[in-house]
This record gives sequence, structure tokens and C-alpha cells, in this order.
Amino acid sequence: MRFSAGEYVCLEGDKANTLYIVKSGMLVGSSKVNEDAPLQNFGPGSIIGEFSLLESEPRELTLRAAEETEIQVIDQDMLQSALEQHPGWFKSILTFLAARNRIAQKNKQKNDLIQALPSLLYIFSAHLQETGADSIPLALLHKKILALNNTPADETDHLLASLESLGLLKTVGKHDSEKQVKVESLQIIPLLYETLRYRALNQKVSPNILSMTEQMVLTTFVKIARENNVPLQNGLCTITTDQLKAEAKRSMHGLTLTSRTIAPLIDKGLLKPSTSFDIHAPLESVSFFFADFEKILDLLELNRIFPLLDKNLV
Amino acid sequence: MITGDSRKKVIPPTRSHVKAGFVVYSPDSGKRNIIILDEGELAAIDRSNGLKSTVFKMHPGDLIGVAALLEHEAFRYPIEATSDSTITVVTEECMESELKTLPLWMLAVIKSLSSKTRKLKEALHKTRCENTLKSLAEFCSHLEAKKDYAIKDLAREFQWMTKIPKPTIQEEFKALARRKFLILDNNGEETSVRIANPLLLQIFVDYLNATEKGGNWEPFSLDLNQKRLLVKLSAVDQSQEMDAPAWIAFFTAQGLKLDVAGWIRVQQFGWFKPSGDNAFAPNTDKIKYYLAALRYETNIRGVL
Repeated sequence: MRFSAGEYVCLEGDKANTLYIVKSGMLVGSSKVNEDAPLQNFGPGSIIGEFSLLESEPRELTLRAAEETEIQVIDQDMLQSALEQHPGWFKSILTFLAARNRIAQKNKQKNDLIQALPSLLYIFSAHLQETGADSIPLALLHKKILALNNTPADETDHLLASLESLGLLKTVGKHDSEKQVKVESLQIIPLLYETLRYRALNQKVSPNILSMTEQMVLTTFVKIARENNVPLQNGLCTITTDQLKAEAKRSMHGLTLTSRTIAPLIDKGLLKPSTSFDIHAPLESVSFFFADFEKILDLLELNRIFPLLDKNLV
Repeated sequence: MITGDSRKKVIPPTRSHVKAGFVVYSPDSGKRNIIILDEGELAAIDRSNGLKSTVFKMHPGDLIGVAALLEHEAFRYPIEATSDSTITVVTEECMESELKTLPLWMLAVIKSLSSKTRKLKEALHKTRCENTLKSLAEFCSHLEAKKDYAIKDLAREFQWMTKIPKPTIQEEFKALARRKFLILDNNGEETSVRIANPLLLQIFVDYLNATEKGGNWEPFSLDLNQKRLLVKLSAVDQSQEMDAPAWIAFFTAQGLKLDVAGWIRVQQFGWFKPSGDNAFAPNTDKIKYYLAALRYETNIRGVL
């Protein structure tokens, strides 16, 4: 088949079951799905549409002749008759190669998303801290992540949708130019970035990731504060040891609250005792504990979403 | 279609019957064969932790070794027959002779699938960044000004985020330092990085974005009159609010040329922001941005 310069060969998404081989001239491929990607050139000898031929996949690219171009078209009848002249196992090899390529594509997509998450969190955190705002324009986020890590807009949107499903943020606004990505808590995005960064650079779990017992104690602390409308003083919330023990008995599923249970939270600076704390002394030797209430809420939220992160991303 | 007539030269695959427990493939053998299971059952076995465990089972019609044979990517597990089985072994010579009889387009499809898979696998370990200097500038533009950071910590964090190789990161730090966007200080033990002005790094990223797209970058495309307007605007009271005709009259009274077309252009630059009742106030951030871009033009263009 011959095409003049500027003539379209096929459109992205077209139903297809043929392979194109460029015999002479040049085809240019573009994609609306990935608009940021550079145009692809296909010169003589290039083949396009292996998956259309083997698995009737729709066209992945819009192809246009850049100059006078001749292409050879291979259809599924030609494939079938060629395979009939070869042993049966040959078809299995082709199927295997196609399946292997599909797996490699999926792995690459997953890897790209996982790789892009820190960049998104870094840019988002920095914007929140630099401006003091609780949102970032979506267009600005797209632009900055593209500059930092070459992550295309559709991948950024995919990540944002995953984080939205975890309740961390919300994309608001109707038109693309007006869209803003708004966070539920100002600290959770920086906290998540810091936790991932710590794990990657130190090859160990971040201190922000709490044990089940630590989470249960802090959840009990928050529950008492909320149910009793405990007033905050400079963001600090104070709970008596008696209140903590009584509530723990009810809500901590049989776990007894002791100095040893509380000690890791004191070591991490999350709970502060009213007097000097001795792990060997009875818990009652401390009359009350106080803590940065917002920080505890953010940490509990981080610990809720962290185990779900990988599953939600890919 | 070129098919050739070389069927006589084809080396046939070997078919054999094996007993349960027979090792049909061992990674140590160095052989690159495709094994097709015709009857029975085979299993890939892992003995790496001292215990024998089954990685996966193969059923009639399944095959292994394609990647080993076509892409020199050895299969890592031994394959054993778990019951009496019949297998077909396609050796390297057999495959080669078979490939020679293929139509050229089918050979091209095989090569293309193989090569695309290999590239996808290689890409897993490579950076996606095409402009590593721009990437580092974007990263550094969010650091605090005039604070010392250990370069090795920044480089590790940046590498984790982008997968850019360490030597490239070091080179790009030097490139930014040459443009005076950051200061590298070596106290003998370790090198620290200090950002002079994060705004300049943001401006630099915007400039690189514009040049990559091949267009003119607005701050460097201002004519002399527009530059004079900008300088004048930077000196007026930033809380001043006036409507468009009043601003035009204001600049005209100052001896600067500004007609309606010029006003629209200035609006496009973002030098004014609406402040209600058709009034406009100077947009301080944009004015600072343009002034900084003009002042540090040589640093941004890299023609120091």
C-alpha cells in the first residue's frame, strides 16, 4: 500500500488485525493517551502492530506518512498459512514471546508508578510547606513532576486517584485548568514522603511506623480525648493515667496497659509523662500523659494507609 | 513472501520419554534448549534455601527455555519430571535451522518482540529523566535557601527518586554551581551544598522547559519598552490598585509607551492581578520573577 505525505495510515484505538512493515519512506506515530511522549519515526524495515497481528489488539498509535511511503500489510490469514508450514510448537513460541512482552509491559508500568510516587509526594510536600496552602493546582503538579522525574500526566493522575481512594487527598474543580489537589491534613503527605525516604535510604522501617500495641495505645488516647472533649493547650492534649488504664481495659482487647507497653511511645517522644518515667515502676507512678494531638492523629492515619499503599498503587 | 525451500535442511527436534524424577534441564548445564512437554508433568524446583520446593508445575503444551534460547537469558531453576513424561527438546541448532525457513516478516516479529521485552526489562533499572540537569534543578528548587546540606545525602535522596546514576548527579551539581545557582563547599571532610536563591532554580527549570519545546521564553523576549515598564512597575507602590485606562495613563505620564495592545500583552505576562471592580494591582511575585530572570540571564543561559 502506498501513502502520500500527510496521509493517515491508521488512528490510535482502531480495531486491527494486521502488521505493517515499512518498505520505503517514513511513518510518524503519535499517541493521545501519552501526549507528552515524543513522536516516533518508523523508517524502512520498521514493523508496527505485532499485537494487532497476533492478538487483534487495537492500534496503539496514530500513524501518518511523513513522506511518500510504501508499506507491506501482513494479515492473520498470512500468519496462519505461515504457521501451518512449521511445527506446532512454533506457534507456542510466538504466543510465549507475546505473553512475556505483556508481562514486561505491566512490570514496567507498575515500576514507573512506584518510582513516581516519591516525586509526587516530594513536590506536593514542598508546595504545602512553601505556600502554607492546603492544595496545589493540578497543572502545576503535572508540570513539576514531569520536570523532576519525567512522569507523564496520566501516571500522576493514576497516583492521585490511588491516594484519593485512601482518603489522603481530593481533586476538586471541574475544568482541567481550575483543578486543585487538596489534602485532608497538612502533615500527612510530608509524613508519608519522610517515611518512604527513611525506608529507602536506611533500609529499615521508619520510626513513624508503629507496632500494633503502640497504635492501640494511641487510639485509646485519642478516643478518651474525643469522648471527653479534652481541651487542647498549644496543641497538647493531657490524659490521666487512670483514664488511660480504664479505657485500655475496655478497648484494648484484653491487653493490660503497663509501663513496658507505654515505654516505646515515650522513647519516640509521642507520649510525654508528667514526671520522670521508669519502665520498672508501676504505671500509676506517672499521674498523667500529654501529647501533640494533631501529630498523633497524623501518625495513626499514616499507619492506617501505609500497609494499603502498595496494593492501592498497582 | 519469502519462505525459501530449505525444509530438507531443518534439524528436527528430539522427542524423548523420561521417568519420574529425571532432571530434564539443569541451569549448570549451559545448554540453551526449549523443552516442550507433550505428556505427563514437569516441575521447576528451587533448592536455594536447602529445602526442595516446587516453583511451578508444567502441564502438556507448556514450554520453557524460549528466553534462554532467543535472548541468552538462562532459566534459573532445574526442571524435573514429576511423573513419567514425554518431552520435545528444541536445541539451538534445531531452532536456528527452523528460523532460517521462516518468512522474513515473521523473523522480524520474533526479533521485535524479543527486543522490546529486553528493552522494557533494561528500562526498569534506568532513569526516565531525559534532562538530568533540569531534574536536579527542580529538586534543588524546593530546598531551603542558605542552609547547608551534605551533598552525599542530597545525592542519595535524589538518586532514590530518579534513578539517575551518581556520577551524573555529581556532574549536574557542578553544572548548577558553575551557573552560581548553588554553592558547593568542601571543608576537607565532606562537600556541602547551599542554595543561593530557590527562585532562580525554578526560573531555570522554566527556561529549560521553554527551550526544549523550541519556543521563545517570554522573559528573554521582552523589548526595550517592556523592560522599562517592568522596571517602573517594580518601583511603584505594590498595593496600588487602578483600572486599565488609569494604569495606561500612569505609564504614559511617566514617559513610557503603553497602548491598549501593550496593556493586553502586559496582562499576558501576568504583571498585574485583578483586584475587583475592574481594578488591577501589581503582581509582586511575577514582577520579581521577570526581574530575576533578566538580572541573571547569563547564569540561566549558561554563558558565563
